[in-house]
Amino acid sequence: MKRISVTVSLNRSTLQFDDAAYARLDGYLAESASLLEGDPDPQEILSDLEQAVADQCTRRLRPDQRVVTLAELEPALEEIGSVQVPGAAAASASTARESNRPLQQISEGAVVSGVCLGLARYFGLNVTALRIFAVLLLLLSGGGVILVYIALMLLFPYAPLQPGGPPLRWLPARSRAFIEYVRVKFHLATS
Amino acid sequence: MAAESKLAPIRKGLLEFLVLKIVGASSVYVPDILRRLAGTEFATQEGTLYPLLSKLRREELVLYEWQESGAGPPRKYYRLTDAGRAQLAALDEYWNQINRTIADIGH
Repeated sequence: MKRISVTVSLNRSTLQFDDAAYARLDGYLAESASLLEGDPDPQEILSDLEQAVADQCTRRLRPDQRVVTLAELEPALEEIGSVQVPGAAAASASTARESNRPLQQISEGAVVSGVCLGLARYFGLNVTALRIFAVLLLLLSGGGVILVYIALMLLFPYAPLQPGGPPLRWLPARSRAFIEYVRVKFHLATS
Repeated sequence: MAAESKLAPIRKGLLEFLVLKIVGASSVYVPDILRRLAGTEFATQEGTLYPLLSKLRREELVLYEWQESGAGPPRKYYRLTDAGRAQLAALDEYWNQINRTIADIGH
């Protein structure tokens, strides 16, 4: 027996999602909720976003298709973009980038999942040098580094995507969805 | 792009003004606003617009009502309140004034 899909109620719509798409959506909504922390009325905005996701996914489904997959959800979320809090956004985004940079994975411009990018930003290193070092370590350790990398993927929260930024490459988008799936499946804290 | 990094905050600050203008022109729902802004310097996304509209609603500058749509769930249609109309007029006036100042200065 295999579970095919999850029925999701999104504001005023109901849709079927497969497991991977459901995990990705759950991660997106959790990220949105955390970005809206401090907003006096986050519930209204989250309902609006849920409705936007439902409308965008419905529009992308083929006539004979009933279950939303990542193929529909990813472009939908890309079009909706991540939550930008008005006013506060301009100031906090630049200070967060300049001064206190948390350890995060950065999907934009990532090769695999953005761990090296995140480490390079946090420690102020050259990302290319860090990547070369990581590949050398991979060869020397006989693959042990892969486990470390996966552990860091699970530990580091994702840096919020910049709206209007470049679309994610295939592998970072997949690993993001995978990590969100694992986090939901094993009830790990979502970022 | 040094210039671009200076222009981005200007656009961000003006987005609220433009949204008020669009909502002031006719009763609209969010995809209408996105379409109106798409292809301009102010092209934006739902993730930006919904928090902004929520703020404007709290400030009682806009209000919305639900309208049935032919297909799918009902839609939120936004329009300006009297306070919103007054603020839009004030912003419009201020914008014209700034433009005159910029055009005049340095001559």
